[in-house]
Amino acid sequence: MPRALPADYRSKVEKPADFDAFWGDVLRQASSIPLEPEVVPDPLRTSGDIETFQVFYTSIDHVRIAAWYCRPARRAERAPAIMLLPGYQMDPPIPKEWARKGYAALSVAPRGKLRSNRQFNPGYPNLLTHNMVDRHTYAYRGFYVDTWRGIDFLLSRPEVDPARVGVTGSSQGGGLTITTAAMRPEVRAASAGAPYLCGFVDAIELTHTYPYEEINDYLRLYPERRADVEETLAYFDGISFADRIKCAIIVNVGLQDNVCPPETGYALFERIGSKDKRLYPYDGHGHDAGRARHTAVVDAFFARHLQDAR
Amino acid sequence: MTDAAMHDYWQHALNDLSRCPARPEIEPLPLRSTDFATLYGVRLSSFGPYRLFGYLSIPKGAGPFPAIYYTPKYQSVLEIIPQGTANLQRSRYVTFSLAGRGQRNADSPYAAMFPGLLTDGIDNAASYPFRGIVADSIRGLEFLLTRREVDHARVVVAGNDIALITAALAKGATHVVTAPALFYRTADLAPKTQAYPLEEINDYLRRHPARAEAMRRTLAHFDLAGLAPRVSAATLVMAGAPGSLLDAAALRPLTAALKGPVTVYESQQSLYKDGLYSERWMAERCGIEDVQSILPEHWRD
Repeated sequence: MPRALPADYRSKVEKPADFDAFWGDVLRQASSIPLEPEVVPDPLRTSGDIETFQVFYTSIDHVRIAAWYCRPARRAERAPAIMLLPGYQMDPPIPKEWARKGYAALSVAPRGKLRSNRQFNPGYPNLLTHNMVDRHTYAYRGFYVDTWRGIDFLLSRPEVDPARVGVTGSSQGGGLTITTAAMRPEVRAASAGAPYLCGFVDAIELTHTYPYEEINDYLRLYPERRADVEETLAYFDGISFADRIKCAIIVNVGLQDNVCPPETGYALFERIGSKDKRLYPYDGHGHDAGRARHTAVVDAFFARHLQDAR
Repeated sequence: MTDAAMHDYWQHALNDLSRCPARPEIEPLPLRSTDFATLYGVRLSSFGPYRLFGYLSIPKGAGPFPAIYYTPKYQSVLEIIPQGTANLQRSRYVTFSLAGRGQRNADSPYAAMFPGLLTDGIDNAASYPFRGIVADSIRGLEFLLTRREVDHARVVVAGNDIALITAALAKGATHVVTAPALFYRTADLAPKTQAYPLEEINDYLRRHPARAEAMRRTLAHFDLAGLAPRVSAATLVMAGAPGSLLDAAALRPLTAALKGPVTVYESQQSLYKDGLYSERWMAERCGIEDVQSILPEHWRD
């Protein structure tokens, strides 16, 4: 039987009634913790055109978070900024290419990633299911806050124009782009590729590949915990966050994506609250979500919203 | 680099490895086991001595089965099978993935940085971490071949440069799938890109220009074109897209030097198309006729 069109798929995700209260409480807890930013020059990775720094700041639960920060050596007094968010398994990249385009660029390593794993390290596979039965201790509670605190870091920098901050990433970075754009009104433009962490309960039926397969593994061993798992995940699902997004946003998906099913990308896009939104579906593409062609679209999008518009 | 110098370098590494017994410990992992495959965590030793970790998956049913050995990747995370691969792959193949020294689960005492590993200690060939990582990878293949469930006539070694180097230096690979990224004309190609991982070379030379010659000497031991004549397995070379740094034209000296039959695939810049090609290539060579049944849902016809 031919596969149904992903655009026709109806997500099972239901936003909890106390969603805003839950995250409001988390944000209150986080705001009581000083950021304590530390910016350490990295001469090995600094060149004539790009300055590179290793950055550290404190997040919720007092976990120290690492990041890479690059900025153009020659720049205006106030530059636009981009926060780059990492995939599930990837090691956060050094964002030199964004600095070469004229942005102050921060690449965050949320807790558990290399360089941010001294206090919290559930490992891979495992992060996705770590404390998945309890929204108050689920791994992604802190993980999400770590990325939102990255915005605080950028806003603390004198060289960053606080009115021109964007966020981007693909896969898990795409999902984190959604949650960050939803929770940080300072974000002016967002670009999410192949968004992960969106439609968890849909994805584990639509695909049987890692990393989502971690959840199926867990439920196979602990079927009696399914209700608790589903309750928790609803608070962390990008689809639940999506109606809070008000900034300009673009989303790209691959119609043969074997990691983050395109059905979940469509479901997410439908729920995004912004009036300025556009979906780019790429047929013949998997989890790359058409990156080779779409990079130019992303560059033009951010140039329009962060560089041209002052 | 002369053939003799390269031979001596690797023979010393192999001798070091042979003096170190593997002493494997194998433990079932029920969380990742299914009704079609059992997963085990494996600890084993390489030279140093250094304790490594891998994931071994054995299909249920009567073997022997074809095997895919996933050699250490250039990332901190060790995957059971590569992200995006259908879990059902484990129903038809024995799979074994190994963390080389420095990767997660094998990061004590040495925790590698990414980026950073490629140039860590690169000015000293004798102590360069990749000498150990190659030995680790060979140790992994040796371990896999001790398993009675493995059909020795169908053993695929898959990965980046390390897959090809492993097949060059160790017996047992019948097929290789390799996507060169690190060790093909590294010093020559790095100045032509600003992208990591080769940007690590540019960073290093900018900071340590006096070490350029020592770095080149080390890299010469790892150069894929020099090792290719030792590879007799049938090999699928996953080249970059046309016009990219490591496209088929750039890799021609390497592919021409491989001793066994070679298939060169140029990336179509689609993880779907590229992944589908390699899955089908492996299945055809391993006698798996119903490859559709072990593809990800969104890749099936």
